[in-house]
Amino acid sequence: MAKLLEFQAKRLLRSSGISIPKGRTASSPHAAAEVAGELGGAVALKAQIAAGKRGKAGAILFAATPQDAADKAGQLLGRNVLGHTVEDILVEEKLDILQEHYLAVMSNPETQTPTVIFALQGGIDVEEHAASGGVGIATFNVDLTDGFRTYHALELLGRAGVTGRALPALAQMAVRLFEVYRKYDCMLAEINPVALTARGPVAADARINLDDDALFRHPELGVEEAGEVGERSRTPLETIAAGIDAHDHRGSAHFVQIDPDGSLAASEGKISIGFDGVGTGVSLTTLDELVPRGFLPRNFCDTSGNPTASKLYRITRVILAQPEIEGYVFVSCLSSQQLDNTARGIVKAFKEIYPGGQPNIPCVFCFRGAWDETALEMFEQHGISKSPLVRLLGRDATERDVAVAFGELHSGWRASRMEAAQ
Amino acid sequence: MSRGTLEFNVFSGGFVRFDLDVCTRCGSKACVTACNAPNLACVLKLDNDVPGLRMTPAEAARGGCIECLACELACDTDGIGGITFALPMPELDSYLHDMEARGETPGFKRT
Repeated sequence: MAKLLEFQAKRLLRSSGISIPKGRTASSPHAAAEVAGELGGAVALKAQIAAGKRGKAGAILFAATPQDAADKAGQLLGRNVLGHTVEDILVEEKLDILQEHYLAVMSNPETQTPTVIFALQGGIDVEEHAASGGVGIATFNVDLTDGFRTYHALELLGRAGVTGRALPALAQMAVRLFEVYRKYDCMLAEINPVALTARGPVAADARINLDDDALFRHPELGVEEAGEVGERSRTPLETIAAGIDAHDHRGSAHFVQIDPDGSLAASEGKISIGFDGVGTGVSLTTLDELVPRGFLPRNFCDTSGNPTASKLYRITRVILAQPEIEGYVFVSCLSSQQLDNTARGIVKAFKEIYPGGQPNIPCVFCFRGAWDETALEMFEQHGISKSPLVRLLGRDATERDVAVAFGELHSGWRASRMEAAQ
Repeated sequence: MSRGTLEFNVFSGGFVRFDLDVCTRCGSKACVTACNAPNLACVLKLDNDVPGLRMTPAEAARGGCIECLACELACDTDGIGGITFALPMPELDSYLHDMEARGETPGFKRT
C-alpha cells in the first residue's frame, strides 16, 4: 500500500470539501516560525512521517508563539521517530476541540465491500477501544451499485448514537470521505480525530492508503510506487530493487530487508546473511533450517515466475551490496522456472563484482527444477565453483542440506579469518 | 574495412553491442550457438560470418531478446570478447558511491 503523508491526505480531503485546519508544511525552524506567524495564535507542529501513533511518540508538539514554533520545529526536524527521519513538519492552527470522533472508509476483506466506520470516541487508542467492544461504534458495508449517500450516512451515525446539530455536518463529511475513497482508489481513508469545533467538524488528522495496483490511474498524486514496507519507509536498496520489477514485468524480484541495519542479528547474536529464493515456500523452509543454526537473513528475496537473467543479475547485485553480510544463500524450489536463465544472471553478477567471480563470503547455490543441471554447469564453466567458499547443490538436496552446507562453509571461513587476524 | 557494430537495446533497460571486427576473428561464434539453444530466444543468426539479428532491433528491444545473457557468457568462455551486454543500474551505483563516501563498505567489497 502506498501511504500518503498527512498533509498529502488532507489536500485530497480539502479538494472534496472536507474542512481541514489552516496551515502548511515547513522544512526548517525559520519556515515553521513564518507559518506560525501567518496563522497567528497557538499552532500544532506535526512530523510528516508514514507512521501512526505520532502523538504517543512525541512527534506532535504545540507552540504558543512563532519563536516557540521555531524551537519546537528544531526539536522535531532531523529526529528519528518510529524509524523515520523527520524531514518536514506540518504547521497548523491549534483547534479548539469540543469533541473527538473517528471516521473511516476501508476496503473490507471480510465483506469484500467498502466499509464505513464511525466511532463516537476518536483520537488515540481508538483501535483498543474498538477491540474492547466499545460502545458508540457503527459500521456500514457499502453496496457499490448504490454508493454511499447522505441517508446511508445518517443511518450509520444514528446507530452510533450521534444526535443533535452535528448530525448533518458529520453525515456530509462521511459522504465526502467516501467520495475521496472512491475517486483515489483507496484501501483506507481515515479521519482520526474528527474534531468537532465551533465551526463544525474538521479533519484534525488524516490517513490515506492507496491501492498500489491503481497508482497508475492517479499520476496527479505523483506517487509512482508504494514508498513503504509495512509500517516503515522503504530503504534505499528496497527502492532500487522495486525499480527493477517496475521496469520489467517478466518474473519477479521481490526484495525486502528484514534487518536493514543488522541490529536484529546483533541483538539476537546471529550472523547476518544475504538470501534469495525461487518461491516463498522454499524460502521459509530454508530459513527454518538456517535460523536455528545461527543465521539471520538480512533480506528476503523471491525471484520466481521465470524472471529474466538480467533481472537476476540486477537483484543479485542489490543483495550482495548489503554491508556486513557473512554469506549468501540461493535456493530454488522444484520449480518449472528456467533455472539456466536464473543462473546466468547470478554468474554475470558474480563475475562483475568479484575478481575472477570468486566471492569473499561463503555462498551456497541450490538449483532444483527445470534446467537445473545446466544451471549448475554455468558455475563450473565460469570458474565460480572453484572457490572454496562456494558449494553447489542439485535436485537431490533438501533445505536442511543447504543449511548444513552453509554452516560448514561459514565455520571454515570464520576460522580462516580468525587465523589470519592472529 | 571495419565491420562496425551490431547494437540493440533490451526491454529492461540497457543494450547489447557486438564489435563485429572482433567477431570476424572469432572462430567459434559461440554467441550464436548459445542463443540458438532449444530453450532460448534465437534472436541471433550468422550473417556474413558475424552475429546478426533475426529480427529488427526494435523487435529485439520490445522483448524479442529475452535477456538470457547466454551470448555474453558463451563469448566469455568460448569467444574472444566481442560482446558488451550492458545492464546499467545508476541508482545502485549512486547508492554504493554514497555508501563508500560515508566510510561504509558494500558486502561484496569486504576484506
